[in-house]
Amino acid sequence: MRLYEYEGCKLFQSEGIPVPRYGLAANPREARTKAQEIGLPVVIKAQVLTGGRWLAGGVQSASTLDEVEEVTRHIMENQMLGYNVQQVMVSQKVDIAKEFYVGVTVDDYHGAPVVVLSVEGGVAVNRLVRERPESVVSKTVSMSTGLTNEEAKQMCRQVGLRSNDLTHIANVLTALYRVFHKYDALLAEINPIVRTKDGSYFAIDSKVELDDSGLFRHPELNITRESHMLNELERKGHAIGVTYVELDGDIAIIASGAGLGMASVDIINQKMRSANFLETGGGMTEELLYKATDLVMQKKGLRALFINVYGGINPIHEGAKGIVRYLKEHNITIPVVAKALGNHEQETWQIFKEAGVHVASGVSTEQAVEELARLLEVK
Amino acid sequence: MSILLNKNTRVLVQGITGKTGRIQTKFMLDYGTRIVAGVTPGKGGEIVEGVPVYDTVAEAVTKQGAEASVFFVPPAGVKSAAIQNIDAGIKLIVVVTEHVPVHDVMEISEYAAERDVIMIGPTTPGIITVGEAKMGIMPAGMFNPGRIGIISRSGTLSYEVSVNLAKAGLGQSTVIGMGADPVVFTNLPELLALFEADKGTDLIVIVGEVGGIQEEKAAEYIDRWITKPVVAYIAGQNVPVGKRMGHAGAIVHGDGKGTPQSKIAALRTMGVDIAEFPADVVKLVSKHLGNRPKSK
Repeated sequence: MRLYEYEGCKLFQSEGIPVPRYGLAANPREARTKAQEIGLPVVIKAQVLTGGRWLAGGVQSASTLDEVEEVTRHIMENQMLGYNVQQVMVSQKVDIAKEFYVGVTVDDYHGAPVVVLSVEGGVAVNRLVRERPESVVSKTVSMSTGLTNEEAKQMCRQVGLRSNDLTHIANVLTALYRVFHKYDALLAEINPIVRTKDGSYFAIDSKVELDDSGLFRHPELNITRESHMLNELERKGHAIGVTYVELDGDIAIIASGAGLGMASVDIINQKMRSANFLETGGGMTEELLYKATDLVMQKKGLRALFINVYGGINPIHEGAKGIVRYLKEHNITIPVVAKALGNHEQETWQIFKEAGVHVASGVSTEQAVEELARLLEVK
Repeated sequence: MSILLNKNTRVLVQGITGKTGRIQTKFMLDYGTRIVAGVTPGKGGEIVEGVPVYDTVAEAVTKQGAEASVFFVPPAGVKSAAIQNIDAGIKLIVVVTEHVPVHDVMEISEYAAERDVIMIGPTTPGIITVGEAKMGIMPAGMFNPGRIGIISRSGTLSYEVSVNLAKAGLGQSTVIGMGADPVVFTNLPELLALFEADKGTDLIVIVGEVGGIQEEKAAEYIDRWITKPVVAYIAGQNVPVGKRMGHAGAIVHGDGKGTPQSKIAALRTMGVDIAEFPADVVKLVSKHLGNRPKSK
């Protein structure tokens, strides 16, 4: 789950990483008040969960209070990369002398945290790796020992940092690792962390992604996954405990398992187009599949519903009851094709057949999709 | 022959008294799995499906000689259970649980690796050595005994591929769900190595999916070490890849990896046959089994 910039900044502050003075505002008037408290000049930053804010005009300076209002109005009235801006962050503008990059992320393949430091910040980090690899250093960290201050200093020395830069950036690195570790983060990134002309150090952006599965350990953060999802239907899916992925076609898909769901999309998209896919995970009940069917059927202009489930840990006969109850209650008339195999398969087929659902006759998804295509008269 | 699990493996079920634990214990016993003990703290002395339940793993090991463990415990309980199992001397642990925090997975991985314990999962259907035993939730009817080894990132897709092979009269030695999470305990190359060494396996099927670099790493490994034929299917060619944002990810993993194209290209270069769709696996496997295994 990606956090808003201001939420990430709060986590940074909790571990002692300095952030320029800031306030949040939901309208131009509030922005003016905050700017007055903070002192001019300020930077107004749209709080959105997508990248590319700078280029889209979502980050702008203001040196008078009228300008603060004007800039805020402009940012909030226009959609930012397709999303409404609910809040802006009003930040003290600092005089930048030097930018650095620091980040901690998970190396998925090796299953270990990795700390990255670069002597240049901004958008140039990726290019820097290719062109001047000596200015970027990364280090795999042991979960049991964490990142020690000596290791952080060693990283700083490797890219040529000295004196104040070395001390401060090393402290930021260890603090950032603590943020990563304490809050179950998958990514904690400061791009850039800056030295100002008067020799102070500030994080002037935050990019933090938390592990959804670790959220239960952090009630103190008081944030939910649903409040950080952009798509309405995806948000609803999460609320009922399934994964919903929005696509752009007209065949709705319910699958038990992400892999099976993705394979279904691959096969359907040969001749037709998938509208979405919903993955039930391992917690199937009648009620869950009733709600799941409701969710995939929200999409306008559907031509068919395709169901692909296996009974391993999931009681698919219970799931089938929920699906057919929804179909009956809502008088669904579009074709519904179901492929269901595994534990309780016979019972499941019976429930589907009685409700007029076409039960796939073979064991391959390809064959089931062929049958769907025939029903829809797709050549 | 098989890998990791056979009919003599002495299995314990961690979390045997929960709803899922009970049902799945019955299914595993029905299949022939030698389940010698269950563990649920506070429930010692109970009997589930004829299996004695203990409070601690150490007791299950001492009294019943348990050597492998399959987990049906909630996400928050996985870390402490794993450490207890490892400390008690269990050498193979299968974690079926979904939604285990990634930081716990990393911590457990480090602990297990230092003690030479093999862990599979999390978010895995488990391991089935066909016709002998299963640790996990795979529905038994999808498999047929034979000489094909299957490694799958997705659970239900491993059933799909297996049942299609079974219908065509082709069977499996062992089928492993390696786990569907971005971070798993055991990576694809390590599992390939086990199948390469297994005398009961003639051919290996990889069922991969978009995201991560498992398949790319597998391709490098196959080039160096694998002499048996390999067939692969990669799911998700029409699905947007969930990307972790930020520069750190790109620096750590390299740009342009993780896409179906990158995986397919890497595997194909190493002589792996790529199935466009799951059912095509059957055709490619049949073609190979008509030939002798390649030598290197």
